[in-house]
Amino acid sequence: MLTKRKRISNWILVAVLIVLSLFFLFPVIWMLANSFKTDAQITADMNSAAAFIPPALTGSFLDNYISILTNTSFLRYMLNTLFYAAVLIVLGVIVNGLAGYALAKIKFPFRERWLLIIMLLMIVPMETIITIHFLFVAKLGLLNTVIGYILPMIVNPFNIFLFRQVFISLPDDIYEAAQLDYCSPVKYFFTMVLPMSKSVVATVSVFTFLNVWNDYLWPSLVFTSSDLLTAQIGLNAITSNENTTMGQTLAVITLITIPVIIIYSFFSKQIVEGVVSTGSKEG
Amino acid sequence: MSFIELKHIGKKYANSDKNAVTDFNLEINEKEFIAFVGPSGCGKSTTLRMIAGFEEITEGELYIDGVKMNEVAPRDRGISMVFQNYALYPHMTVEKNISYGLKNMKVPKDVIKKKVDWVIDILGLEEYRYRKPKNLSGGQRQRVALGRAIVKDQKVFLMDEPLSNLDAKLRVSMRNEISKLHRSLGSTTIYVTHDQVEAMTMADRIVIMKDGVIQQISKPMDLYEHPQNKFVAGFIGSPQMNFYDVTVNGEEMTFADGSKMTLPKATAEKLSEHKGELILGIRGEDIKFDSQNIDVYKQNSQQAVIENTEIMGNENNLYFQFGGALTVARVSKYEVCQIGDRVEFVFMPHKMHFFDRETEQAI
Ligand SMILES: Nc1ncnc2c1ncn2[C@@H]1O[C@H](COP(=O)(O)OP(=O)(O)O)[C@@H](O)[C@H]1O
Ligand SMILES: [Mg+2]
Repeated sequence: MLTKRKRISNWILVAVLIVLSLFFLFPVIWMLANSFKTDAQITADMNSAAAFIPPALTGSFLDNYISILTNTSFLRYMLNTLFYAAVLIVLGVIVNGLAGYALAKIKFPFRERWLLIIMLLMIVPMETIITIHFLFVAKLGLLNTVIGYILPMIVNPFNIFLFRQVFISLPDDIYEAAQLDYCSPVKYFFTMVLPMSKSVVATVSVFTFLNVWNDYLWPSLVFTSSDLLTAQIGLNAITSNENTTMGQTLAVITLITIPVIIIYSFFSKQIVEGVVSTGSKEG
Repeated sequence: MSFIELKHIGKKYANSDKNAVTDFNLEINEKEFIAFVGPSGCGKSTTLRMIAGFEEITEGELYIDGVKMNEVAPRDRGISMVFQNYALYPHMTVEKNISYGLKNMKVPKDVIKKKVDWVIDILGLEEYRYRKPKNLSGGQRQRVALGRAIVKDQKVFLMDEPLSNLDAKLRVSMRNEISKLHRSLGSTTIYVTHDQVEAMTMADRIVIMKDGVIQQISKPMDLYEHPQNKFVAGFIGSPQMNFYDVTVNGEEMTFADGSKMTLPKATAEKLSEHKGELILGIRGEDIKFDSQNIDVYKQNSQQAVIENTEIMGNENNLYFQFGGALTVARVSKYEVCQIGDRVEFVFMPHKMHFFDRETEQAI
């Protein structure tokens, strides 16, 4: 049973949270409501409460969305990005996971030094090494290819560190038992280590997704072909086009925000865990 | 050649400057149940893990079934192991935990099913078949760990303190179950424990260790009756054997507090080759308070005042000062004593153990 005082302070907390979240939600609600309107309507509603209310459900309700999805390649860009994210999640979990596992459980010379180097890499901003990545990918002749885009994105010192922190507490005797059960080290990693560490795998996957979904700089450097572009670049192209209406712009922004909101609402636990264990939200 | 042979096995951990195990020699016969026993840190686990292949053998040779195993990978040594913390696969059900090894061995599905059914049946795990380890009690987890070890039909069974995480009552019943399993499966077993009762009740032979060195290898009763040194004598048996610094002069034995006893001729003769300064050891149950024994050994009877009693029901422990040491005697429940009582007692002369005061070796 909570004491009376505690209950009162709980209610105050809830009230404060509601006010705060409304404060942050207003722009989102505004965006959503206006994304269904024509520009004339938006201007008309601008200074009244109607700015936060979606228009009536008439036949033209989804016009902005339909024109975005049919007249532009935005859908294609979103699917591209989802595909890149999926590939990078799989490769990222495997590569960074294996590296984290080695740093946590396998004895090799200078292991602690390696760890230190990787931790130092965490404080180097991505932007400073992106030129090197670009030159590298260019030298390999992989500009404007999916491989060229994906390759430098796989390794992520944050994720290596995150994996290492979780794997280090896995009991060694399970590995020994698995050895006696004829489980090879590689099989052990995939059938034991990863399933036993579901929550860090989820955390890394979520971070990777958000990273890929929100990244603008790297895809804009690598890709020139419009077939391969990502959602963020599409967003930029569409919103900077003079012919795009205000309502269409808001519709694009809404579309690009939806996956992020879904991810946050389903995986908030993993995101918080990731923030707590590394002390930072990456990306 | 014995089934398992350890020849001059030694272990030195890379980060330590002294040996964890020194010159370990042991031959184990097929189907034998061997217990390694000793205080914590004496090198039992290290030795077991060298046999399993999880620790490198830094000195000596290990043979299993005639094959030198020093460089052989754990999985190819024909062993299975039960771990102290069970080491179950947390994301797998009981059934999957047990069948995992067989699956990896590419055993046909119907054979796996038959074996797993058999194991689940003899260990009484049917109810828990589809549960994950976190939803099992300690005893049930232990059973799964046992099941996982026996299902593979390996010739050698290694167990490292498998019962130490269970409560006392469960420990006794699991002890019996493991013994029963061993009898029915007949696999050669090496069982590590710090609990002398487990070792005494389960093992065919006991290897007792201290500081990485074997102190004695004997059948349980021999270990109890004929300890080869003071450490073994003190480690095996509860309550602990009583030890006294004594001076032996011919047939006369003098305690530190001046009490004297007369030794039987044979004993005196045996001791005559050794220096007079010895350690006398006698077990609590070999101190007698009944009139019959006191009559027989009248000339040696002693007196003391009871300082403390431990009532256990079937038997009671009496504590009193004698010979310069706190002495514990174990008496039946019919010999009732109160704290403060003055009692008369005798040491059973043929149950006395003598140890060299320097080397602590038995004489
Ligand atoms: N991995 C290790 N590295 C260094 N020393 C160890 C290691 N494991 C055990 N030891 C040392 O070796 C000795 C024997 O340990 P162990 O075999 O675990 O004893 P027991 O199982 O009998 O309690 C102890 O002194 C212990 O500190
Ligand atoms: Mg141990």
